[in-house]
Amino acid sequence: MRMSLRVRLLGTIIGAIVLFFIISVVAARIVLQRDLVDLGKTEVTNSGGAFGGYWDSRKDQIRLLVAQDALSDALRKAVQSNNVSALQDQLSNIARTSGLSFLTIVDENGNVVARANGPERGSLKGNPLIARALTGETVSTAALLDPAFLSGEGLAPQAQSDIKNADGKVVEHVDKGLALVSAAPISDANERTIGAIYGGILMNHYYDLVDQATRALGGASALLDGNAIVASTIQQPDGTRAVDVLVPNASDVIKSGQAYTGPDTQGGTVYLVRVDPISDDQNTVIGARWYGIPMSRIDDIINHTTLTVLIWGFIAMVLALVLAIPIVQNVSNTLAERSHQVRDAAKELGVIIVGAEVSGDHVAATKAAVEKSGNVIAAVAGGDTNRIGELKSLNDELQSDMIVIDTLSQEMGNRMKQAVDRVEQLNEVAGGLNQLVTGESA
Amino acid sequence: MADVILFFGTNADTMIATKTLKDAGVTAKMIPKPANVSTTSNLCLSIDSGVESQAKTALAGAGVALGGVVK
Repeated sequence: MRMSLRVRLLGTIIGAIVLFFIISVVAARIVLQRDLVDLGKTEVTNSGGAFGGYWDSRKDQIRLLVAQDALSDALRKAVQSNNVSALQDQLSNIARTSGLSFLTIVDENGNVVARANGPERGSLKGNPLIARALTGETVSTAALLDPAFLSGEGLAPQAQSDIKNADGKVVEHVDKGLALVSAAPISDANERTIGAIYGGILMNHYYDLVDQATRALGGASALLDGNAIVASTIQQPDGTRAVDVLVPNASDVIKSGQAYTGPDTQGGTVYLVRVDPISDDQNTVIGARWYGIPMSRIDDIINHTTLTVLIWGFIAMVLALVLAIPIVQNVSNTLAERSHQVRDAAKELGVIIVGAEVSGDHVAATKAAVEKSGNVIAAVAGGDTNRIGELKSLNDELQSDMIVIDTLSQEMGNRMKQAVDRVEQLNEVAGGLNQLVTGESA
Repeated sequence: MADVILFFGTNADTMIATKTLKDAGVTAKMIPKPANVSTTSNLCLSIDSGVESQAKTALAGAGVALGGVVK
């Protein structure tokens, strides 16, 4: 099917606009995807840093609480008098009001004098933090609490959990506890160390810190004991928190001590995350802080921008067509008018060419008749009177031929005048087309 | 066989018809319009009655409008 010029022109305009917007949308999506992911990485890195600030703030808070308790006259007197009952009550009250998971006092030999969590005694002599405190140093750090200590404090059930992978299969068992702890020396009036106080917060299944970070920063946050989430604000599809699950990307962080920034899927949601290592006082990586924003936030922006570009592209196409249609119509009308002029001129010139050929043929036929007539006249002059009738018939034919030649002559004369006009018209058409194409007057 | 006269609307059509019949191999002679033919053209074509059908076919194929036929 042959298409008209206006269909071709409008099709070309529409095609060009559609092609332009397809390329624009694809380019915009690629650039947006890259830039927004970069921006998202910056955001999760900054927010991960802020999450670390909350972590450090809580560590300093515990250090301050424990250091203050170490200076408490009431506690010191109770230690000196070995009043275990009073110590237990005081420690219990302090731990409860301060939000500490445990608070324990040991004597100068590292033997437990009293615990906030009950009457369990025992020795913490081998605990390196308490050993340092008994030398007069106040220490504060993240630590992995061993099962024996947790059991002594009655915290083992809070720490113990089966860790599942993304398929829901149990892949490991956690019995150590990630904690923020502090230990400080207790001194008598002569500044002699008579014991130490050791307290902290067990982070396994403790949601206060992650909730605080998420409220302030948005997104989702989690604490990892090793490479397993032990506390988080990550929501699963059923609305519960995602805990006791493995974070495969955290394994490299634990091994290398280098932070990870990139995608991670938790609770069925793809997040852009920052995983920062958590180290103990010996600079050993024992866990990690996980902060993430849903990747859908980036995808939503990309999709919204794409839709906006498409809508505005459609509006631009409509506006372009509103402007282009009259122009195309005008060009088409001009060309159609010129086409008619050329066709008429061609027809007229064609008649002249045909007329010239026909006239030539007729003149030739007339010439032959004249020659034939001359031969008959010569024969009659020679005495052949029988051919006089033939001569008369030839004469009639020649008279008819002469009328035809005269008529053709007049017709061709008129046609030649019209041909001159047509040639002028063709020149005008050529000038008009040249102006239409080049914009210049011929 | 007797001649047949073909006439057309204009002298231009008569000339085009002459050329058309020549190209189709039909012998036609241009003659002045007889008094009994009513047309604005001053010229007509005279053909042999035996080629009338062939002439009409050739003219119709070339799109030349035939004004009428006088036998």
